[in-house]
Amino acid sequence: MLALALLLGPGPARAQPSEEAVKAAFLPRFARYVTWPGPFLPGPGAPFQLCVIGRDPFARLLDQAAARELIDGHGVVVRRMPSADGSQGCHLAFVQGAAAPDTASLLAALRRRPVLTITDARAGPHRGVIHFVIADGRVRFFIDDAAAAERGLSISSRLLALAVGVRQRR
Amino acid sequence: MTNRRIVFLLGTAALACPATRAAAQDSPTPVPILASQDLSELSIEELAQLPVRSASKREEPLSGAPTALFVITNGDIAYSAANSLPEALRLAPNLNVQQVNGREYAISARGFNSVETSNKLLVLIDGRSVYSPLHSGVFWDLRTPMLEDVAQIEVISGPGGTLYGPNAVNGVISIASRDASETIGALVRGTVGTFEQSAAARYGFALGGAGAMRLYANWFNFDDHPMASLGPAARDGYHGWRAGFRGDFPTAGNHFTIQGDIYENDVESLPGDGSRGGNLLGRWRRDISANSAFQLQGYYDYSERRFLLTLDSLETFDLEAQLNLRFGAHDLVLGGGLRTTRDEFINNLNGFQLNPPRRRLWTYNAFVQDRFALTTTLSLIAGVKAEQTSFTGLQLLPNLRLAWQPDPRTLLWAAVSRAVRSPSRIDRQLEFLPLLATSNFQSERLIAFEAGYRGQPIARTTLSISAFFNRYDDIRTTEFQPGGGLPIQLMNGLEGHTYGFEAWSTTQLATWLRLNLGVSGIWKRFQEKPGHADLARRDALGHDPNLQLFARAEINPVDRLRLTIGVRRIGALNDQVGAPAINGYVEADANLTYRLSDALELFAAGNNLLHDTHLESNDTGRARLAQRSVYFGTRVRF
Repeated sequence: MLALALLLGPGPARAQPSEEAVKAAFLPRFARYVTWPGPFLPGPGAPFQLCVIGRDPFARLLDQAAARELIDGHGVVVRRMPSADGSQGCHLAFVQGAAAPDTASLLAALRRRPVLTITDARAGPHRGVIHFVIADGRVRFFIDDAAAAERGLSISSRLLALAVGVRQRR
Repeated sequence: MTNRRIVFLLGTAALACPATRAAAQDSPTPVPILASQDLSELSIEELAQLPVRSASKREEPLSGAPTALFVITNGDIAYSAANSLPEALRLAPNLNVQQVNGREYAISARGFNSVETSNKLLVLIDGRSVYSPLHSGVFWDLRTPMLEDVAQIEVISGPGGTLYGPNAVNGVISIASRDASETIGALVRGTVGTFEQSAAARYGFALGGAGAMRLYANWFNFDDHPMASLGPAARDGYHGWRAGFRGDFPTAGNHFTIQGDIYENDVESLPGDGSRGGNLLGRWRRDISANSAFQLQGYYDYSERRFLLTLDSLETFDLEAQLNLRFGAHDLVLGGGLRTTRDEFINNLNGFQLNPPRRRLWTYNAFVQDRFALTTTLSLIAGVKAEQTSFTGLQLLPNLRLAWQPDPRTLLWAAVSRAVRSPSRIDRQLEFLPLLATSNFQSERLIAFEAGYRGQPIARTTLSISAFFNRYDDIRTTEFQPGGGLPIQLMNGLEGHTYGFEAWSTTQLATWLRLNLGVSGIWKRFQEKPGHADLARRDALGHDPNLQLFARAEINPVDRLRLTIGVRRIGALNDQVGAPAINGYVEADANLTYRLSDALELFAAGNNLLHDTHLESNDTGRARLAQRSVYFGTRVRF
């Protein structure tokens, strides 16, 4: 860690991206590092479905990020929905209720389905498989690999290595 | 996996990422220059290393809380000139903050301010109540958290509703530290100034998979302040340290928090003067189902103060439970708490003693509140709190609130609440025979009427306005025996009312300029009740300025540079009761922070920049002059 700090040093002035922009950039990218059970993978040429369930803090940022993602011939489309109804077909789901308890009930509705749920510490303590936090001024995340295992998802070690903490699968 | 992570970090830094996609990009700087927010070219590792501009809490959707609530965020504190918790509270326009001397502050909402009379405020630090049962006030010099780890401070003016514990009469200050998962990494801070120095360090790390832990320590020194013509000669220089930890451990449906601090401060008044103490808190939150949650919290707190031949020690055990249930249009919260304190007060300075000098006290409270959606835009919040202490019978404190949110940008609310301040040890058991005898002092009572607006009336501007009318009864007086003889006793002889308002706004004038304005006003009308004559000349009402005005500009011309300038105008203390009148004042503070790199930040800050000295308190037993103070500092993160 120390080595990193020293190497970064003073650099040229640059505009810092917003927290939302970086989170939006992460979301479609996660699909690259997760393996879904065979029957749930998108068909040939069909896109991964990234669902925003509840509040949408990203708006256009997420559509832009998703439009640029191409994973083994699969694009990523963004779907937005107020509740978990109609979330069939979602591969990834960013879940955020109007208030913290709403997030919990949305997550409960997705429990035990092969969906990579993603939550944000800013919206409350309730956690999906991936939980965004701000660590040291950077967007980072916790990964609940045990919850991923329950859903039949397998997360690549490259993504696990980026997590600030991992709850291991049993 | 640890090895992998180290390899990756070094790899990113040198831009020799092992992964194919990242290696394909040949960027000359560690983190590529970003002209726009086009992040699609970055690898996932680079995204994780990218410093971000944090979203301001105030840009989030309006909270539906129908109270006069002001929120001080972590960023507000970092870019202010505040170097202590009381100084940070100056950011809230709904508080009156008086620096009494180098270590003592008098802080109050909606009146009654002075060190001895600001006794109607509930102050919570991570759920731990810190007002003292000795006089129901707060010893701010014992509260020295590392400000970088404070997530936010909620300041409520008014009774605060059902959900807060005992003593939430005129306001609530709730200080929340950051979840340990938000403080991963190391941070070191040092400041050097004309009259003050500080140093602090924190290290946070992931622990046990989903959990995280941080350890911190800080040290500070504040030199003596100049003597005030109306104040005492005793030295007020003050220095001390604090260290502690916080761990957060989420598991499926559960969240465990454990935290603790120890501290020690020395005051220059006499050798050996100062305070020390510590606390340990555990909290368990369980999500029972999607619509119900349960929380259990317990803590232990010990503090000991020595000052001018007096010794005051206090040991507190507290246990609280809360259950949240939602069904249909109802949002129900019920809970209860139990607190026991054991104190000791020994005074070798003068004849005032507590009788008995050692005492265990109990406080019980239980509450239930329902937030009921009458229509999609109108909610009714009805609650009742029951409270009993060793000095009182069962007291019922009902609260009724109406919230109307016609659109997401507008909240109108009104409330009526009953609140009481239960007797403190001093109220009941202070004795100086044959002059002063203990008494049967009863709770001070309040019925508060409030109304307010919070919303976004025009683009880029948020506005909050609240008005109140408070009817008080049984406020403390000091009286002769009926018929005029000794001993004198503390009685409940005053009644009256206060009225006033608070308003604040934030306007984003340009992408680089934000302007915050605040104003608060209070007027008091009190009289002795028939048959009562107050020897203390209504001293219990405190000393409050009628008007306070605040303006604060946050200027962010380039990304690495941030300048904050605050100006405040505080009215005179001239209520002519119990203490000399003093003039109002205008003062300014500023903070200039330059981020040299993502790891290194330099800042210069100053308080009270307009005058060499000024007086904020008319406390003849304590007041010293507040003074211009400039300091320089650095923060290093790695």
